[in-house]
Amino acid sequence: MTIPAPEGDRRAVRGGRVNPASLTLTDRLLGENGLQKWAFYLPIVFMVVFFLVPTLLTVVWSFFERTLFWMEPGFTFFSYVNFFTSARFENFLSSMFHSSISVVVSFAIGFPIAVFVRRHVPQVAQHRVILLFILPFMVSEIIRTFMLRPVLGRNGLVNTWLANLGLIDEPITIILFSPVGVIIGEVLSFLPFIVFAGFLAMEAVPKYIFEVCQDLGASRRQTFTDVIVPLAAPGIFAGSVFIFVNGLGVALIPNILGGPGAVNAGLIATQAIIALDFPLAMAVSAIMMATLLGLLYLGHRLFNLTRILEPVS
Amino acid sequence: MKTQMELSRRALLQSVGVAAAATAVSHLPIAQALAAEPLKIWTIGVAKVGAEPGTGGKDWSDMEAQAGTSIAYNAKSGSADQAIQKMVVGDGNKLYDAITDNGGGMEDALASQGAITEIDTSRIDNWGNLLDHYQDGGIAEGTIRHDGKVVAVPYISNADSLAYNKTVIGGDLDSWEALFDSQFKGRAAMQNDFGPTFTNTAIYLKESGKQDIDNPSDMSESEVAGVAGFLIDLKKKGHFRTFWDGFQNGVGILAEEEVLVSSCWEPVQIVAGKKSGKDIVYGTMKEGHQTWNNVWMLTKGGADRGMDDAFYKLMNVYLSPWFGARTLLTFGFAPQMSGVLDYIADAEGFDDAAKTTITTRLNNKNDRYAIKGNSWQNVFPTNIRAYQDWWAKVQAA
Repeated sequence: MTIPAPEGDRRAVRGGRVNPASLTLTDRLLGENGLQKWAFYLPIVFMVVFFLVPTLLTVVWSFFERTLFWMEPGFTFFSYVNFFTSARFENFLSSMFHSSISVVVSFAIGFPIAVFVRRHVPQVAQHRVILLFILPFMVSEIIRTFMLRPVLGRNGLVNTWLANLGLIDEPITIILFSPVGVIIGEVLSFLPFIVFAGFLAMEAVPKYIFEVCQDLGASRRQTFTDVIVPLAAPGIFAGSVFIFVNGLGVALIPNILGGPGAVNAGLIATQAIIALDFPLAMAVSAIMMATLLGLLYLGHRLFNLTRILEPVS
Repeated sequence: MKTQMELSRRALLQSVGVAAAATAVSHLPIAQALAAEPLKIWTIGVAKVGAEPGTGGKDWSDMEAQAGTSIAYNAKSGSADQAIQKMVVGDGNKLYDAITDNGGGMEDALASQGAITEIDTSRIDNWGNLLDHYQDGGIAEGTIRHDGKVVAVPYISNADSLAYNKTVIGGDLDSWEALFDSQFKGRAAMQNDFGPTFTNTAIYLKESGKQDIDNPSDMSESEVAGVAGFLIDLKKKGHFRTFWDGFQNGVGILAEEEVLVSSCWEPVQIVAGKKSGKDIVYGTMKEGHQTWNNVWMLTKGGADRGMDDAFYKLMNVYLSPWFGARTLLTFGFAPQMSGVLDYIADAEGFDDAAKTTITTRLNNKNDRYAIKGNSWQNVFPTNIRAYQDWWAKVQAA
């Protein structure tokens, strides 16, 4: 059965083919596959407007001259020289070091959770269990971080318990207002990233692999380090990058849990903005972006990150 | 292209003109017509008080009622530099009729850029109440003037000092020496901001004869280096538990006894004392304090929009003992006008405890303000880059 075309459409249809000359502008924009075509371009437009352009502007502005309240066009490396020759660079390196430790600790705790869920939890319940890790995100990050204070503090829960158990005479103060406090805060805040990424990465590890390893007499450690981790490496790397970048950029955690004057790269940029040194803030941001891109390049060369997007066979 | 707001305003002006012509009421000032709009203010939450003494008020309605003008409140962050940037190169003048500052020196920066206007003090009935030290020749005259013209109205001030846990320490402290003394190693804190932290440390080093410093509020590069070096040495010895950042953080470390001594704002000490139930005291330091005030300014945009009348009505409230008594009781900020004690003697709502608190705090403030070594806050020291660079070194130590 054929449905006759409306009167208006008959003009444009000749012998089953569309006559382009007779199409209206609306027809051309929203005609056959028009909406789909625009829907395809929308993400590209979005990324260009909200990511590429701001990124380029950040780099360009980082070479501008600082003025009293803003900046003016110019080309100077002053902000970069200032960054690399001042204590800010030392703070940046220290921030990278602490973020790296957070990544390692998060991996050590989070990835085994992902493996356990994938291997031992029934298939139908796996996603529900993983979704439980989203629950902490329902609470504001500032509250989550601030709530660690009564736990880790001098008179907090940890010290009270340990004292009641007779394990300590003096409160342990290194777990708050110190790099250790920042790492604890980062691990608790960002752990779900490695759990999610690890869970997805384990898609690349068929269940029978475990049985094969067992049949071949591989120990649990060998199975984990020689088989599972290499297979799941791209996903693990992606999760690690999330944690590393957040550790570098999220200013809240060192602000609340860090020691005197604790900073990370995000705080260095924030402090530059507060001091109206916009080119310096842009330079710090550009250096952070370069660091991230370098990490992604390295990860891609080592683990071929496109494997994350490949269908699991 | 005109914005929606501009178009609306034009429509309003046209309708006002038509109405004026139709009723033969000529010369209706545009400013008067626009004054029906609320005064758009950009300020911090503690700039308001509630009519009930000891409360901050749920919203701005009590302040509106007192001023007789409507107010549209916009919350402002605590950064002086960002605020200046917004007013000078951003859209601040389009958005706000009146703003408050974030510390000393901001009014100069804004006035020099034409972002705020001169204040007509004759239009503020309570201007005569203003404390003497703001008058010509007074020690704080420069904090509200630019090129000799009044460009700001002070509404709160203080001399920041040292808070200490008297319950645990068991005695009173009257010197910054205590903050840096090894008996409080690991139990001391300062603010995570190079301005007050460098200035208070400089006051101590200067007055105790440990370092030659000409002006703690505007140090040379070598003076900043000396002050930072002093803090770096202490930090490396583990003297500071933390540098607090933000009101709740400042309260928490005192209330939870993470620290026993902390240089902080007075509201931090007040809330920490209430929260912990401990006797946390705000001392008077014999070397001196960083003194500061916060001010109101009429933006150029606000004046152009004819909002000056509403602005002056609100300023009249800020210079009345009605506001001064309440901000002192609620937040511990110093009133900027005389007559507060006379006012609470007769005013309703102030019970004996409130009157005692106000009297005690006022006396303590007067004691602090009387210290010779006090130094006014300066958010734009001449060598600000040296301040920033050395602060980064303190952080890295």
